[in-house]
Amino acid sequence: MSQIILGVGDYGASNRPGEDIKTFALGSCVSVILLDPKNRTVGMVHVALPESSINQAKSLEKPGYFADTGIPALLKEMARFGCNPKGKGMEVKLCGGANVMDTNDTFQIGKRNGLSVKKILWKYGMGAVAEDLGGNFSRTVTVSVDTGEIILSSPARPNWKL
Amino acid sequence: MTEKIDREEIQKVIKSVPLLSASAAQLLRTTTDPDHDLMDIVKVVKTDATLTARVLKVVNSAAFGLINEISSLDRAISYLGERLIVGIAIGDCAAQLFDKELKGYEGEHGALWRHDLRTAIASREVVVQSNSDINPDLAFTAGLLHDIGKALISDYLQGTAGEVLEKIESEEFDDYLSAEEELIGFDHPRAGYELALAWKLPEAIAEVIRFHHTPADAREEFQELVYAVHLGDNIAMMGGGGTGADSMRYKLDTNYTRLIDLQPDALAKVMLTVNEEFIKLERSFSATGDSNR
Ligand SMILES: [Fe+2]
Ligand SMILES: [Fe+2]
Repeated sequence: MSQIILGVGDYGASNRPGEDIKTFALGSCVSVILLDPKNRTVGMVHVALPESSINQAKSLEKPGYFADTGIPALLKEMARFGCNPKGKGMEVKLCGGANVMDTNDTFQIGKRNGLSVKKILWKYGMGAVAEDLGGNFSRTVTVSVDTGEIILSSPARPNWKL
Repeated sequence: MTEKIDREEIQKVIKSVPLLSASAAQLLRTTTDPDHDLMDIVKVVKTDATLTARVLKVVNSAAFGLINEISSLDRAISYLGERLIVGIAIGDCAAQLFDKELKGYEGEHGALWRHDLRTAIASREVVVQSNSDINPDLAFTAGLLHDIGKALISDYLQGTAGEVLEKIESEEFDDYLSAEEELIGFDHPRAGYELALAWKLPEAIAEVIRFHHTPADAREEFQELVYAVHLGDNIAMMGGGGTGADSMRYKLDTNYTRLIDLQPDALAKVMLTVNEEFIKLERSFSATGDSNR
């Protein structure tokens, strides 16, 4: 069984039967998962920061790093698989966006990532049907292309579904 | 039921760990001295043939992709920079600790080294981005050693992680630090501090190890450095680079603002750099040697 592993700021899509898309240890990062049942295609982007304005050059080189450039990049990638470039007919699921304990506004990057992702999705008329955001723990996430099933894991916790 | 441990027990564990090499100990002292320069580092490395060979191997490894081989130690050191030299030296001598599988935290193999390396880079970037007067290389070195105590107490915590998480959720435990103290009577900063004493580490580094989760308790003269590593540690965990079940289960001391001016944009820049640098440094450290890093 093949697997696409996404690092921080990576995005990818697949329609290959039996394939998984996986990303490790989302701390404050958010994973945006797009499921297109009609085209049997699954996509994911591992977003690290809310806005690309802090480093435009980086956003050109690696758009997946930022919420505002990562989601358009993922939609473009999925269009190569025949999906609607505006995300029509897709289901959205979100996870990650954790924070450390007793955090302040500056350090609430997890929360800001979640809000920024939702704002960008809103522009496309998209909203999440399921989300597992926040908390004080890191998540590893795996999506199956065959079933669209999303499995989350975190050290010393039983796995759970999204 | 977990057993409580005491100072004597920790001392026993420390005795089973190899001592720092003379050159590594000297490098740590040099890096802490405010009046040193790169030549002082070169002098120390020259006294150690094994370290010299390692430094040359790292600089000529594929990670740096140099076209012409560097054969002079002086050039290798100025190319790599002080923090990498100190990192190579302590990474090698304390490999037994850095590479220990943290079963008590349900950490993956190599997780401690990777977390420490991320924290080192993040602590240095915090210092740079906040225009602090702290020596960035010192912040890096202190960050690299901050969690060394986890390697000493991890075995005693085996099988507790699930229970700890439940008790943190139900607020029976404040955070992972107090869980360690409650369960085995010893937390990882204190264990690390015992090692710092045994290894005669410079005071600044010992203070970071001891107070990196409770920076307000550090001595005034070291507080800014301790806060920088406190932030670096949290940034490393936020970036997904924790040591296991304890990741993000510690409290941020938001009073850092008293000493460190880190605006949201600057923090975002730190996080970006940490990711980039980490990939580069991890490759260069693992370029040689036979560890599993
Ligand atoms: Fe720690
Ligand atoms: Fe740490």
